[in-house]
Parts: sequence; C-alpha cells; structure tokens
Amino acid sequence: MSGDGFEPNIIVFTCNWCSYAATDLAGTSRKKYPYNIKIIKVMCSSRVSPEMIFKALSDGADGVLITGCHPGDCHYVTGNHLTIRRYYLVKWMLKELGLGDRVDLEWVSASEADKFVEVVNKFVNKIRELGPIKLREEVIKKP
Amino acid sequence: MSEDIRVGVYICHCGINIAGVIDVKSVVEYVKTLPNVIVARDYLFMCSAPGQELIKKDIKEYNLNRVVVAACSPAMHEPTFRGVVEEAGLNPYLFEMANIREHCSWVHSDNKIKATEKAKDIVRRAVAKVRHLEPLDKITSEVAKSVLVVGGGVAGLNAALDLAERGFKVYLVEKSYTLGGYASRIGYLDKNIRGIELVRNLINRISKNPSIQVYTGSEVTDVEGSVGNFTVRIVKHPRFVNEACNLCGECVNVCPVEVPNEYEFNLVKRKAIYIPYKDAYPNRYVIDPESCNRCGECVKVCKVKAINLDEKEEVIGVNVGAIILATGYRHYEPQKGVLGYGDSKNVITLFQLQRILADDGPTNGELIINGSKPRSIAFISCIGSMNTLPDSASYCSRMCCISSLKDVLKIKERYPDIDIYYIYKDLRTYGRFEDLYWNSLDKAVKFLRYNDTPKVKVGKDGLEVQLFETTIQEYLAIPVDLVVLVNGMKPPEDIKDIKAVFKVSTGPDGFVKEAHLKLRPVEALTDGIYLAGAVTGPKSIIESMISGSAAASKASGLVSKDYISVEPIIATVNEDICSGCGLCASICPYEAISIKVSDGKRVAEVNKLLCKGCGACAATCPSGAMQQRHYKDIQIIAEVTALAKGVVV
Repeated sequence: MSGDGFEPNIIVFTCNWCSYAATDLAGTSRKKYPYNIKIIKVMCSSRVSPEMIFKALSDGADGVLITGCHPGDCHYVTGNHLTIRRYYLVKWMLKELGLGDRVDLEWVSASEADKFVEVVNKFVNKIRELGPIKLREEVIKKP
Repeated sequence: MSEDIRVGVYICHCGINIAGVIDVKSVVEYVKTLPNVIVARDYLFMCSAPGQELIKKDIKEYNLNRVVVAACSPAMHEPTFRGVVEEAGLNPYLFEMANIREHCSWVHSDNKIKATEKAKDIVRRAVAKVRHLEPLDKITSEVAKSVLVVGGGVAGLNAALDLAERGFKVYLVEKSYTLGGYASRIGYLDKNIRGIELVRNLINRISKNPSIQVYTGSEVTDVEGSVGNFTVRIVKHPRFVNEACNLCGECVNVCPVEVPNEYEFNLVKRKAIYIPYKDAYPNRYVIDPESCNRCGECVKVCKVKAINLDEKEEVIGVNVGAIILATGYRHYEPQKGVLGYGDSKNVITLFQLQRILADDGPTNGELIINGSKPRSIAFISCIGSMNTLPDSASYCSRMCCISSLKDVLKIKERYPDIDIYYIYKDLRTYGRFEDLYWNSLDKAVKFLRYNDTPKVKVGKDGLEVQLFETTIQEYLAIPVDLVVLVNGMKPPEDIKDIKAVFKVSTGPDGFVKEAHLKLRPVEALTDGIYLAGAVTGPKSIIESMISGSAAASKASGLVSKDYISVEPIIATVNEDICSGCGLCASICPYEAISIKVSDGKRVAEVNKLLCKGCGACAATCPSGAMQQRHYKDIQIIAEVTALAKGVVV
C-alpha cells in the first residue's frame, strides 16, 4: 500500500464534558469533517490508558487522537494534567517502537466545534501523509 | 461471557435527519449479522411513544437483556431510552446509544455511501460495548439533617438564620471570640446604618434560636465523609472566662499586659484580658493566651470566679449533611513605610477611619487624629488592589470606592469645612452607588486621577501627596493633614488550611473557586459544600447577605432530602488483584480512594460518594484492579477493536 489514495482509520477519544459536546455541536451546525474518524466517548481524557492506544494501533487503526478539556478547565479538576503526562510517555514509546508520530492530544472545549473540525482535518492529513503502519505487514505477518 | 447476551438494536430515521443520508435498511441488515443481536429494527422516530413501545414490547417478547438505539446524541435521548429500558424491567445501564446523527448523517451528508458505512461502524461499536455492560445499582445514602456554617460574619450569620428558620440544626463555628466579622466594626454603612446595628440584629435572632449552636474561638480541623454525611471535628480553644462573667471590668484594670487591639485595627491598645467590642457575642471577656503572662491578678479580683487559667481546649465532633463556607476575607494591610504608612500617625487605612468614625470606636466617633481635627484629607484609593503596589492584587476589591465615598460624605456631613481630595486609579461606584460619586461632587470633593501610584512625603510640617494627574496631565503636590489609604480585600492568611480541611480549590487570586461562576455560583467543586460571602472574592455586605441566603437555600435543598443518590458510574476495585500500591489514591483529585488493610493485605478502597467517576485511577492502575464502572477496560477495548479491527469481541 502506498500513501496515494490511502484512507486512514482513526480513533478519536472524546471527553464527555468538552470534546464530545463539541462533536455534537459540529453535527448540529452541519459542519463537515473526514469520515475517517471514529469516536469513542470516555468520561475524562484521563481514562484513556496507554493500553487502549496500543490496542487501537495493533488492531488496525492508523492513528489515535485524544481530545480533552483545556488545561485548567477539566471537569474533574486535574484529569487532563494526567492525560498530558501519559500522552508524552505514549508518544515517546511509539517513537521507540518505530511507529512514528501517530498519536496526538488536542484541547477542544464544548463550544469549539470549529476547532474540533480543524484538529481532525489536521490529524487525518497528517496520518494520510504518514501512510499505513508498515510494522504490521513486516513484523506481525497476516495469516 | 457467562450469561446469555440477547441484544436488540433499534435504528432511528429521525424523519429524514438520519434516513435522508444513511441507508437505514442496509444498516439493519448489517447489524443482524453481528454476534448476540437477536432483533434489529428501524423506525421513523424511536423517541416517539410508539417507538418506545416497540422497544419495550421486544424486550419482553424476545427476552432481550441489552439494548442499543442508534439515533441522536446520548446528550439528547440517553436518559429517555434508559427510562424505556428500565420500564421494561431491565437495568437502565444495560443500554448503549450509537450517535449516527450528530456524528454521521449531519456531518457526512455529502457522501451517502460512506456515511452508511460509517453508521455501520458506529452501531458496531455500540453493540460491542453493550455486550460487556453490567447492571449498575443506584448508590444512595442517608442525609444528616444538619448544616455546618463556618464563619460568623454577615454571610455566615444570615445563612445560619435562614437554615435554622427552615428547621435545620445549625452548627456555627467562628474562629475569633465573637460573632460579627468585619461588618460589626464598620462605623457607618450606607444610608446611615451603623455596622454594629446590622450585626446586632442578626446576633439577637441567632441567640434566640435554639436550633443554632454557636462555637466561637473555634476551628474546624478535620472533615471526613462526603455529601449528605460529613463528620466534622471542631476544636474549641479555651476562653478562660466562663458564663459567670458579669462584665464588671475589674480584671481589665489589674491586667499588666498591653498589646495592640486588632479589633480597632491597632489604633489603640488592649489588655491580655479583653472584650472584642462592646456588643460582642458571647458578651463576656476573653484572655488572649499569646500575650497573657499568667500572673493571676485577674483571677484574684474576679468576684464571680469566672476566670479559670487552666481551661483546656475542647474537641467536639458533629455530623452534618452540608457545609457552608463563609470564612470571608482579610483587609489588605499596607507595608510599613509605604505611602507614609507607619511613618506618620496621620496616614491611616480606610478600615481604621471607619473605626474612628464609629460611635463605639476609640474616639467615640469624633474625627480626631493625634489629638487634633484634620483640616484637609486625601483619600488614595486602590491600595492593595489593581497592581498599585508591588504586593497588590491585580483584581479590583469592588467595595473600597463605595465604602470610602460613603465615609467621605459622612465626614462632609459632620465637618463641612474639611477639604477632601479623592485620588483614584479607577472609580467604580457601580449600580445605584453612583449617587455616592455625584453627591461627593456636590460637596466639592476634588477628584484626581492617577496612573502611577502617588507618593506621600512625611515632613515636619505635615504630609504632602505627590502625583501625576492624568486628566490635566500635570504633576501635583498637595499638602494635607490626613491621608487615608483606601485598602482592599485579600484572601485570609489561613486559606491553605481551609483548602486542606474542606478540600476546596482556589483560583489564581487565592479566593475559593466556585463550581461554576455562572451556573453554580454558591457551590464548591466538592459536593455538599456551599460558599457564602467574600470567601469567593470581594463582596459588599448586601452581596454577602444575598449569597448567604443563596448558599443556605442550596444547602437546605440537600439536607431536606432523606436520601441522596449518586451516579453509579464510579471506580471499583477488584480486591483479589489489587496490590495496594496506592498509585490510584495519589492521583485522585477528590481523595476518594484510600488504602486499607483487609485480611492482612493492603488494598485500595473507593468512597462511593466522593468518587466522581473520571476514571483516571483505572487508567493509572498497573494491574487492572481498579476499574471504572460502565467504562471498564474490557468495555472500552471492545469499542476500540470494533472500530479498529471491525469485529465485535
């Protein structure tokens, strides 16, 4: 598979209180964004464990985008602070594994439907350019 | 999966909102191929009465034990369908919603084929999750019919009265040895009401109300439990003078120790045995253990044997359903040497001026400074606020303009011949207080505006205020007899202790933060804790009274219930695999997790009422022992696999 015409499969984790509401607002405002993104709702971005991200990538997702409340606005006071720390750990691990820059963290408040559209567009384009995870073909041989 | 999972899936057309873009029939056919799906249907409006009936009928007919509705956002109709499922006899948490409207048809209307494919993905995710969902029981707990009010200023007093009048038991805890707070010491409020009159009115009603238990000289040192059921530890410091005291005053005459009187803002001295002020409540003397040298002279002269120097502190435990924090503010005290404060006795603060103007103040209400009446006064405003000094806050203290102009008018009324300069950075006589400004102008008060903080020169012949007046763009040097530094409000020094004891958070200015400035203005982030008065930032007496009533109203809404139920989506521990490492406890923002020893083994324990269900602990747990109900690892991983791999596991 080459990068041309490659349509990535992307998992987006959304926080119940901010970015999920932004996705709803994007819908009610009839905004358009790439259909590649598949949304999973959690109560807080801090619920997303590294295991979930690795599972997504090993199960065939090409990128994972985590979205949460802006720092200082976390519904659970300090949840997104934990998310930041975990995110950098995961990013570093992916780099070490040779999987490239396939996980992003973005702050999207409940009112920022435009920002949600902007960040998913940016992320989808980025993963499109990166292409599919080669490791899967090369290392984890398909049966 | 041990039990037999039987899923019913219902795809909503939402008129043409969904069906106009998504090929609903093909989604239904696809869903039927998914594991455990017993029945899949589509309907014009699932949320309509016939739509709801359809689901209920199927649950009974097909013996369904899981339901998925693919329609709009769960924010819209999840409560509706949970109710439907519950009415049909299923646990409401055995339901999952697939958002194919906001997340699909409305954002992908340009490509019907791709939108339909995506809708299948979204429904597959919901089916994958619903298969792993578990029934959850609502968590309920009994509510204690009593409220703790911390702080005996006007906000706390008003809150306590409101609650007691509604029939609730109130424990009113005040740190100092009298109720009343700052308001009791403000000579005159607006409209010629004396501060002490207002406070006396509140205290009279409190003293007559048997539902209010007052603890002065007391502090709350520990709060355990959670909304509806707090266990509070109150430490009552010794007063050394009991109820027998008849206020004869003999003790004061013989006491050899003199210290500055903080109730008069250090304008005069008091003895080690003293009464905060004439109308203090409780109305009897108190010994300040910090300055008392334990000479025992007062004990000897006390005819009614009211003094006991060996009195010890007392610890009281109370149980309350709600807590009102009304711990208020402290006045900003300018540093010595700044603007002549401390260098000249003719430089005073607004708080000191208000004592001087008070009938019960050190000069019995006469404006006498250093033995003489000033001929001219300069008020310099924004001291301690608006970044005027290096240690100033950046906020506006809100009350100082109004409070000082009210005193300006009082002085002009009594002594019309005194020249008054009002030197301000910004004048904020908001709302109806604008009259204070216009009335001051009528009385020929000279208003001068500064941008760079003025200087006060203390000379042999008197004071000189030097400033650059920004309106006329000129340097001015004004000789005056008295300078009043209009000082503002700041958070109490012990705000750190308040934060630690009550588990509330503070904003950048150091005041306690509301759960939401607009939507929940008198609630703390911790459930069951309400905020009244200047604890959240500078407030006027009127505003403090209002927020006291508002907090009391919110608190009575809680304690009037017999039971409260909380969302069962919370953390839960598998004790068999928990190693008791405590990582979860260390990151919990609500301190809802503690480590207990059970059968000789350390394990984490979740307080069901404190946990808010963010799930951070579950993501942190290295062994998977900590799980978040309804968002368990296995449930989220099933969603991940359904979307990433395209299969339901």
